[in-house]
Amino acid sequence: MKLPRLTINQKLAAVALLLGAVAILSQPHRGPFVKLDARELAAVVAQEVDHVAPAELAAWIVEGRADYRLLDLRSAEEYAAYHIPTAENVPLSGLGDYPLLRNEKIVLYSEGGIHSAQAWMLLRAQGYDAAYMVLGGLEAWQDEVLFPSLPADAGARERAHFERAAQVARFFGGEARMGGGAAAPAAAVELPKLTAPPPTPGPATPVARKKKKEGC
Amino acid sequence: MMTPLYKYGFFGEEFSLLVAFALGLGFGFFLERAGFGSARKLAAQFYLYDMSVFKVMFTAIVTALLGVTYLGWLGWLDLDLVYLVPTHLGPQIVGGLVLGVGFVIGGYCPGTSVAALATGRIDAVVYALGIFAGTFAYAELYPAIKGFVNADAMGQVTLPEVSGLPWGLIVFAVVVIAVVGFWGATLVERRFRSEP
Repeated sequence: MKLPRLTINQKLAAVALLLGAVAILSQPHRGPFVKLDARELAAVVAQEVDHVAPAELAAWIVEGRADYRLLDLRSAEEYAAYHIPTAENVPLSGLGDYPLLRNEKIVLYSEGGIHSAQAWMLLRAQGYDAAYMVLGGLEAWQDEVLFPSLPADAGARERAHFERAAQVARFFGGEARMGGGAAAPAAAVELPKLTAPPPTPGPATPVARKKKKEGC
Repeated sequence: MMTPLYKYGFFGEEFSLLVAFALGLGFGFFLERAGFGSARKLAAQFYLYDMSVFKVMFTAIVTALLGVTYLGWLGWLDLDLVYLVPTHLGPQIVGGLVLGVGFVIGGYCPGTSVAALATGRIDAVVYALGIFAGTFAYAELYPAIKGFVNADAMGQVTLPEVSGLPWGLIVFAVVVIAVVGFWGATLVERRFRSEP
């Protein structure tokens, strides 16, 4: 069989049509399916570079740093009752649709640490390489930042450290406790009221993206 | 074009400007090579005896469309990181008409006028002054027309999202429209060339 003689333009058009036809089957968006580099993730977890200590996060908030986004994974009611200042409320199920950029530093927390660890895994799998968890979640935030306590047999260095922690605790509306080895049960702890509302960028205002103009 | 690389942090702000410069040079070079540095060639589009503008632009669209689709499919390009201009339907139709009228009157579109300016055409100098005057007038008028400019905000939408059709089908449809369009354009050229 002899092929009809085509001009270069007709050949290119035929190639484009062919590519277009094959493209009908294409899945150019990643969708909800992800790929994991298990070895890399295991290494990250083993080196303990996947989390931020509550005290470190507190220091960032005091400094007013804005180079990260803090996500509260609990329910809206729990968020309304108390949340770490500057946190945005994103229930775990809504994380997939929440406007985040892959080059942002994302800090996650939940009540304990389980939900945030699960969310961390989901984000890392989707290529959010700068995702971190608050170590110990809100419970640790409560114990270490809001209501830090000093053991009775503390040394001088621990005391100096405690002074600073107490200042930070006051900043966040909590208070330091002296001497008590066993702190009051968590249920009795009154969480500080959010009097001065901290800036909480809602989901309606994602970070300003760079405007790019394109055209002929 | 370089947005995904930029956002992944492969290079910083300064280097991105260099990349933009290189891309701009390439863009200008190909505009000039396609003959678009001449207002005559561009005006011929509107007299329908030379459909080069239509063909070159639509070829660029189809090439980019197929390229992006396949790169995304192979997993080499994350389409979620590609910046999309937000859609404002009404204002963009009006804006497109304003640009079109300017195109017909001046014989250039913004990109080609700069390419023509680089080759030293006097009409392009006048056109560039017009661009500056227009930009200035728009900036001055902006407070008055702000409501309209920001109307119909639909966000960063794409045809697959609006139509509900799969991405691949839209790609194929655009390619078919382009090929049929090229064929039609060639017929139109023949007709209007023979009747000067």
